[in-house]
Amino acid sequence: MFVGKRMKTDVITVAPGDTLHRAGSLLKEHRIHHLPVVEAGELVGIVTDTDIRNARLEEPPGPPGPPVADRKVGEVMTRGVLTLSPRDTIEDAALILHRKRFEAIPVVEGRRLVGIVAKADVIGAFLDTLNIEAIGVRVEVVLPQDTASVLRLVRSLGEMQLAIRSLVLSPRGGEFVAFVRVSTIDVASVRDRLRAEGFKVPDIADFLK
Amino acid sequence: MPIPEENAVPRSRAEIVRGFDRLIADGKVHGAELNPSIIKKSGGGGGASFLAAPLPPRRTLLSRWEEVFRNRIAPDEFLEALSGRIQEYGHGDNFLLFGPDRVIYDTQILHSGMPAGNMTLNFRAERDERLGWKAYLAGRRLRVVHIEQIRLRERSSGYASALFHRYEKLFRDLGFHRFRLKASLSVGKYYWAKEGFDCSDKADIGRMREELRTLVRSLGLPVSDEELDRLNHAYDFAMFRRDLKVPTRRGSEGYYSPAGKEVPGEEISLPLGKAFLLCGQPWDGHKVIYTDTPRRTGFVYSEGHLSHEVRRGHKENGNRLVWLMKGVYREELHQSLVFLEPYVPGLEHIHRVHSPSYVEAFRRAAEGGAGTFATRDCSVSAGSYRAALLAAGGVMAGIDAVMNGRVENAFCAVRPPGHHAGKASATGFCFLNNVAVGAAYARAVHGVERVFILDWDAHHGNGTQEIFEDDPMVFFCSIHEHPSFCFPGTGRRTETGRGEGEGYTLNLPLHPGTGDRELAEMFDAEVVPALERFRPDLILVSAGFDAHRADPIAELELTEASYVHMTGRLCELAEKHCRGRIVSVLEGGYDRASLPCSAAAHLRALQGRS
Repeated sequence: MFVGKRMKTDVITVAPGDTLHRAGSLLKEHRIHHLPVVEAGELVGIVTDTDIRNARLEEPPGPPGPPVADRKVGEVMTRGVLTLSPRDTIEDAALILHRKRFEAIPVVEGRRLVGIVAKADVIGAFLDTLNIEAIGVRVEVVLPQDTASVLRLVRSLGEMQLAIRSLVLSPRGGEFVAFVRVSTIDVASVRDRLRAEGFKVPDIADFLK
Repeated sequence: MPIPEENAVPRSRAEIVRGFDRLIADGKVHGAELNPSIIKKSGGGGGASFLAAPLPPRRTLLSRWEEVFRNRIAPDEFLEALSGRIQEYGHGDNFLLFGPDRVIYDTQILHSGMPAGNMTLNFRAERDERLGWKAYLAGRRLRVVHIEQIRLRERSSGYASALFHRYEKLFRDLGFHRFRLKASLSVGKYYWAKEGFDCSDKADIGRMREELRTLVRSLGLPVSDEELDRLNHAYDFAMFRRDLKVPTRRGSEGYYSPAGKEVPGEEISLPLGKAFLLCGQPWDGHKVIYTDTPRRTGFVYSEGHLSHEVRRGHKENGNRLVWLMKGVYREELHQSLVFLEPYVPGLEHIHRVHSPSYVEAFRRAAEGGAGTFATRDCSVSAGSYRAALLAAGGVMAGIDAVMNGRVENAFCAVRPPGHHAGKASATGFCFLNNVAVGAAYARAVHGVERVFILDWDAHHGNGTQEIFEDDPMVFFCSIHEHPSFCFPGTGRRTETGRGEGEGYTLNLPLHPGTGDRELAEMFDAEVVPALERFRPDLILVSAGFDAHRADPIAELELTEASYVHMTGRLCELAEKHCRGRIVSVLEGGYDRASLPCSAAAHLRALQGRS
């Protein structure tokens, strides 16, 4: 769950003295949206396609200056960039990306740029955790929020000799919701049996109401 | 004269009586009793199996007539229908004879008025062993036309062919179910096979296959064991290796023998299968008098599929096939389906799809008494390995019959199912991927180039998808309950193939609760154009029936109407692109009522019935 494990290490960068034109074509060629700005290996700022677009749209006051494309990255980049270190966790990354509405965060060691972690990388980590792409099917069970209930559920599943792919327990309104992925085709029988043992297994119809 | 239609109103008693009076006056009706000195009927001449006897009382004549013909035709009409002229041929000296349990028709065959042969048919109503005593007591009978003997002077087989085509329609309209005969006359042994008769005793096919194998080896012919193993029906023998000619001798009396023997006669060169039958042993044959349907549909089934036994409470059990077969008989589909036998294929056919180590591991698990293979869903017994091979072989037999023209399309009632079995993985009740093995077989052996596989089972066919993921010559299309809600959790729209196979996989997930209308719209909007663009040479269907609303294993709400709609569209497209060739294979379907109903609806749609 460390950023260092999920980040992309071959980062495309620009220098403060590069033109916006160069920055723009890099963004287009690699189909990315953020360019960390690096000087002697150290991160000094970040320029995004929004920054470039805004530079085009705004006309600075006074006599007309050089064409926008020739302006330097250093003039429009954002300094004081929010960064993470490789030893920070994916959870940190998720919170920042969600709260600040960023798309990606540069990863530094001291001031040296070592990688970049994007929203897609964080989503990937959660897909892996939930094991969504594995063969199986999800069963949702609503439990009282105590350990004994969880134990009872796991015991029942064990008695059914099911192969459990993943188990996520999540608090919701004073209860637990257990998302279990099991790899059996006959999930209808699993639901029936859990209900017969007194567990609350909502129907799909219940979710649509 | 008008030939009675099916379900026509029976003739009145007065008409029957009048008919008899007319025939009796003409001396055309006699009694008959079985010749006690004949133990076994011989078809090649020799003594008649009956002797003329005094005419039974009228009461007996009427009741026998009703029992056998259900008064659907009057006796004089019947005699006339049997003896109608065909070109220069006609019947003379013909009689209806009434034996203790049958009605016999005995006639001379005349060509331009001169004797050219003779024929004896007998008509019986028997108990149908497949239907049981309850059906018997309710009046259901198996009506059989026994071709006791037919002798024609040489080179008259065109007449026999025309006569029996006319007879088939007449007897079908009168409610007869099958022909029986002994193919013993030289010409008969080949001719009847070509006309679609099969050995009544399946052991004879095995015997014939071994005799042919011996012949092939002794002559050093380029025929592989594998080709011989696929021979499953007398028709296959008649059509076998028409490209390979062997020398035979034709004796003066019309008997054939292999050229090696010291027999006088003319030497001629004949295709291998034909020569083999002509020189071979007589065999007892039968042929179903098929009810006519717009398309001839095959049905592959064997009790061997029941040898795959599962633990108690397991949904994929042998009862499914029992229910399906009961449904077929209950809806009288057995009278129009061409029953085909599956065979156990050589392992090389399985290895086209599955790794040899995987197949071997499966065999060891099944035969070693492990009880389960790979996953808990995959319950196995000692007979499971052979049953799984037989299921894959069932699809191959269906493909053989469709490709060689015996049937236009076919349904394979097989188990265990296959579409969740990947190259080396068994999940979801599946072990060997029957449809994938079939597709690979069609391409390798029958020269088929493009195969379209449609999987309408409620679950995504992840095994089939994995096997053909990077193959642009096999288009895999699956309609299934959305992976977020249903096993196996794969089959999203975004899965469209890989590498060269990119674009040749189409996944159409349905949300729980989807019904007929939505399915039909989606099918017409997505599947039909994909099939049209792909232009397949063969269509295979992974036909599971568990998307039906009555089936508890999934949460889709389809009815029979969806299967009828999809089958109908497929048949139209198949006719346009690949001469109607569709082979449909049972996958899931676990409800006692909806499985047979859906399968029957699907079969009727394959046959083209509305």
